[in-house]
Amino acid sequence: MVDDNQIKDIIQVIKKVADYDFSDYSIKSFQRRIDKILEDYRLDFNGLVKRIYSSSPEEMEKLIADITVNTTELFRNPIVWHSVKYRILPKLKDNEKIDIWHAGCSTGQEVYSMLILLKEMGMLDKVNVYASDINQLAIDKAKKGEYIYRFNIEYLQNFDEVIRKNPYNFEEYNDVPYSRYFDIDQELDKISIKNEYKDIAIFKKQDLVKRENVFYKKFDVIMCRNVLIYFNLKLQSQILNFFYDNLKFPGYLVLGYHESILGNEVVKFHKKHYYYTKKLI
Amino acid sequence: MAKKYIVIGGSAGSFQTILGLLEALPKNYPFPIFLVLHRLKNISSGFVEALSIKSKINLLEPNDKEIIEAGNIYLAPANYHMYAEFDNTISLSTEEAINHSRPSIDITFYSVAHSLREKAIGVLLSGANKDGAEGLKEIKEMGGITVVQDPNDAQIQTMPQAAIDLFKVDKILTTEEIINYLSKLHFLYV
Repeated sequence: MVDDNQIKDIIQVIKKVADYDFSDYSIKSFQRRIDKILEDYRLDFNGLVKRIYSSSPEEMEKLIADITVNTTELFRNPIVWHSVKYRILPKLKDNEKIDIWHAGCSTGQEVYSMLILLKEMGMLDKVNVYASDINQLAIDKAKKGEYIYRFNIEYLQNFDEVIRKNPYNFEEYNDVPYSRYFDIDQELDKISIKNEYKDIAIFKKQDLVKRENVFYKKFDVIMCRNVLIYFNLKLQSQILNFFYDNLKFPGYLVLGYHESILGNEVVKFHKKHYYYTKKLI
Repeated sequence: MAKKYIVIGGSAGSFQTILGLLEALPKNYPFPIFLVLHRLKNISSGFVEALSIKSKINLLEPNDKEIIEAGNIYLAPANYHMYAEFDNTISLSTEEAINHSRPSIDITFYSVAHSLREKAIGVLLSGANKDGAEGLKEIKEMGGITVVQDPNDAQIQTMPQAAIDLFKVDKILTTEEIINYLSKLHFLYV
């Protein structure tokens, strides 16, 4: 296990060699990631430092992909998606254009969840969906929209909860077929997003730490789920301010199920159900 | 900062022990408790209520970066790993499951071992896998106290036995003894 000083050294070396700054990541989970990398790469601390110094840009991207966490699911936490479906999107229905940003989109399942929901709500035509992640390999996967079926089968239940059922009316059931959105090939263990939904979202690489708006847009909705948990309070607060500045008014922010807005930024957002709205201050 | 921090890991067969413990712990218990239980993926909030029925102490699934306070029991949320950070806050992560478990007992044990060192008391209960043994060993190595449920008393021996096989644990106790030990701990560390 790497100790606390070694972690600081690794962060400094990465900062020097590549343009990534992990100084304000949550220490414990970052440490755990580095331990895992040492295990998987069969390196010790010095070996890793050497490896970082000698990395090609591609190898560095691979390392960044391995350090950062890319868990994502279709319609993760249906109850949060109920907020999106019944409380957020209806308020934007009459807008001429709607801009939605998935910050930290990983391999894209959440982006496609949004596209599916928008399609079902008849809003897809007026929406621009943007998605960004620090991990280029994850973005490539997201664009491809192809996943391992056996890893995603359980999330089809989430699809049922959000798309087929209505939590406010248990008698309602919309039998939307999976085949409307997915090609499922059980023999190849593959579930792919239908081609017509693949080229809608605009994917871009982005390191949130730098707080650059890579889309040059303001957004009606920002989805940023289980990304802030990897940042310490200081960086969380910087990112929340960045979100605040890049939200329109009214604007909606959706975080992970166990994430909340703490500290000075509390005054900038209203907490509602499972989301936040921008406050004018 | 509290004087002691208790971290409990349990899996299959540990539910009754946990319920008994929660019932026995007195109001104003001065030590924060981290609770990491393996459970079914889709059971979320109902689980907290089931556990809290007889508890006099506040039991909650923490949000990320919540401050650790005495008088609270922090139950690792379903589908998240839970860490105790150096700055007395809790952090969560959704990185991959370890030994098929998220939350992973080992992850929380490791973090408590390093953040809280000799203030940590680790307790490993019944379970059908080996999660927690390595982490408990780390608690011991960092100066904390380690407690394992007596395998003969556990519904499923695998998890406590794995710890006993791995290193010399400080205490091997029955359910009753564990409840008794933890519920009177504040008399030992005033």
